[in-house]
Amino acid sequence: MKQRLARMLTRLYPPVWRERYGEEFEAMLAMGPGDLGTVVDSVWSALREHVNPTRGGRMEQDTKTFAALMRRPSGYLPVAMSLAAFMMVLSALAVGLARGGAIVRDPDEGSIAHLFQLLMTVQWPIMLFFAMKWMRHAPRPTLGVLGLQAAAWLAGCAPVYFLHL
Amino acid sequence: MCDNYVMRSTRNVVNNEDSSGLGHYSDPPLLVLASLANGPKHGHAMIEDIVRLSGTRLGPGTLYGAIARLEQQGWIAPLPPEERRRPYRITAEGLRVLRARLTTLHQFAKAGLGRLEPL
Repeated sequence: MKQRLARMLTRLYPPVWRERYGEEFEAMLAMGPGDLGTVVDSVWSALREHVNPTRGGRMEQDTKTFAALMRRPSGYLPVAMSLAAFMMVLSALAVGLARGGAIVRDPDEGSIAHLFQLLMTVQWPIMLFFAMKWMRHAPRPTLGVLGLQAAAWLAGCAPVYFLHL
Repeated sequence: MCDNYVMRSTRNVVNNEDSSGLGHYSDPPLLVLASLANGPKHGHAMIEDIVRLSGTRLGPGTLYGAIARLEQQGWIAPLPPEERRRPYRITAEGLRVLRARLTTLHQFAKAGLGRLEPL
């Protein structure tokens, strides 16, 4: 098979797979016949590797993608806390509206307000820890996750700010 | 670990010796294990050995799919590369799995052929 075609077929595989097997796979393709069966087999196998990637062995999982960082507790916890705070405020509003037909503004901070404050403040050290841990290794996905965490935080605060609760 | 062994599809196997495909055995991971049973080999040598062993020519993508998964399971291990080619060896666990699978196949073949005898 021509070297160029071998390289093209190898490039169809995911980067993590190529990093581990790319060179030897390309060398083997270049040694063999460049017939249609070989091309179809390589394309099909590359597709399967995208759908059902090989993990383990000596293949390093890519731990620095946005998705991988979001799966870390310091990645998803702040978002979950903002979401919980947001849902809590909405629930309190809904209950108030159902009971009195209007938004209830309590001058004394009740347990919901305290819990809201706790959820919105405790996540800051977690976000700081996340930024310090990952910014050096993977700046772009880290910024993406931090952006999502900040957006979730702002969304959590939005009802309190706009409804003057 | 043998219980987790999954028989692979044969649709990615390039049969170029016999168009009917009858009489060919094509379970890529098992073929790779069997090929490595008599010593380490790199990809191209495995393909040629498997043709001699079973009459089946594995496509390069299928072969490396099997190699990657066998390595993942710890049944084969890579050796230092020789130029751009990398040989692989079967591990002790791989030998155990191969022996178990071949024993099962042997029993199955024996029983199946036994049923054909009266015919």
